[in-house]
Amino acid sequence: MNTFQLKIGTPDGLLFEGEVERVVCRSITGDLAILANHTNYLTAIGEGEAHIVLADGTKRSAACIGGMISMMNGTCHLLPTTWEWKEDIDLQRAQAAKERAEKMLAQGGMDDATYKTVEAKFRRSMVRLGVKNS
Amino acid sequence: MASNMKAVKTRIKSVQNTMQITRAMELVASSKLRKAKERAETCKPYFRELHRALEEIANGNTDFTSEYTKETGVEQTCYIIIGGDRGLAGGYNNNLFKLMEEHRAEKPCVVLPIGKKPIEYCRRKSYRTLTEAFELTADVSVSDCFTIAKLLCGAYREGIYGHLELVYTRFQSMLSQIPDVVNVLPLPDLIDRETAEKREPVRRLIEYDPDPSTVFDAIVPEYLAGLIYSAVCESLASELAARRNAMDNATKNAEEMIETLNLQYNRARQSSITQEITEIIAGAEEL
Repeated sequence: MNTFQLKIGTPDGLLFEGEVERVVCRSITGDLAILANHTNYLTAIGEGEAHIVLADGTKRSAACIGGMISMMNGTCHLLPTTWEWKEDIDLQRAQAAKERAEKMLAQGGMDDATYKTVEAKFRRSMVRLGVKNS
Repeated sequence: MASNMKAVKTRIKSVQNTMQITRAMELVASSKLRKAKERAETCKPYFRELHRALEEIANGNTDFTSEYTKETGVEQTCYIIIGGDRGLAGGYNNNLFKLMEEHRAEKPCVVLPIGKKPIEYCRRKSYRTLTEAFELTADVSVSDCFTIAKLLCGAYREGIYGHLELVYTRFQSMLSQIPDVVNVLPLPDLIDRETAEKREPVRRLIEYDPDPSTVFDAIVPEYLAGLIYSAVCESLASELAARRNAMDNATKNAEEMIETLNLQYNRARQSSITQEITEIIAGAEEL
């Protein structure tokens, strides 16, 4: 398979740089995969499971939330707000976050802004749990 | 003579006290710097990649349906100034303000100051500010950056400003920190005019999914937040490095001063002794 250059960067640093065969992530419209020689492309990332297939065929998955993915002139830039490799996800913390958010959502009585934050927290914890348990 | 000696002695004492303070401040700055530097260094590649990716997109962009990709025609420029919370950091804050004034060249502007010193500066100059809520640069978190980004996007859409520039201090090394202005919005501002002219006239097309304005609406706030966060991290490291250097210099100056004062003191002491001896001998001869 052909490979292409991929860079994954978050505010926590440049997490990955190298040749990959395939990148799969969830954009704002749905899952997408990018292969080598993709046309110049730009979209925003939603929230969901993402994985990359390295040049030697190993697959690494991660939780990927927010940000953008661009393919320009053969180089792919994946710049999410959050990118956590499957092995780095703290299962207990995600579980606790999910339960906390669930409780708050069940209680209700929040204003719009708080509701949105809590709901976002809930969704993020679900993404993490989904990736970890996959 | 005796009074002169006393004066020199008090002077030495006071310089010594000042030296103690500057040395303590230097130590505090260097221990904080280590952490800030680490944070800035992990952030730096993201900042670079983010800016470069957006630059490339701006270069190849042929779409002007999104508000962020076209010139708005609003003259007013918005400056985000990321400065320090405290003084005593050499020219750190002043260099930043000077650069901003140079860049502004008397054109109308609004400012979003981050840090206590920039806020004070805007008040003194009575610039219009978007918000003064971010008083402590050291406490700005990622989520604060998202709040700032949302605010900036809102103001941009309302037409309060037409160009957005980020003024921060680049952390080059421990010894050199360079104030810098970065073009942020709208995207055509990002095109490097010199390289753009050398480029072949046919632009590479970019596919936007689902459509350009949705993509830019989602990406621009994230881009802003990421950019601001990275700049905050770097500015913070720069501030601490600048303070460390300034305090290091101050300590060295104090040491030098003490040395000359000691010399003066010894000289005064010697001359008072000589004088006393002369007086005694003169008195003995009288007898």
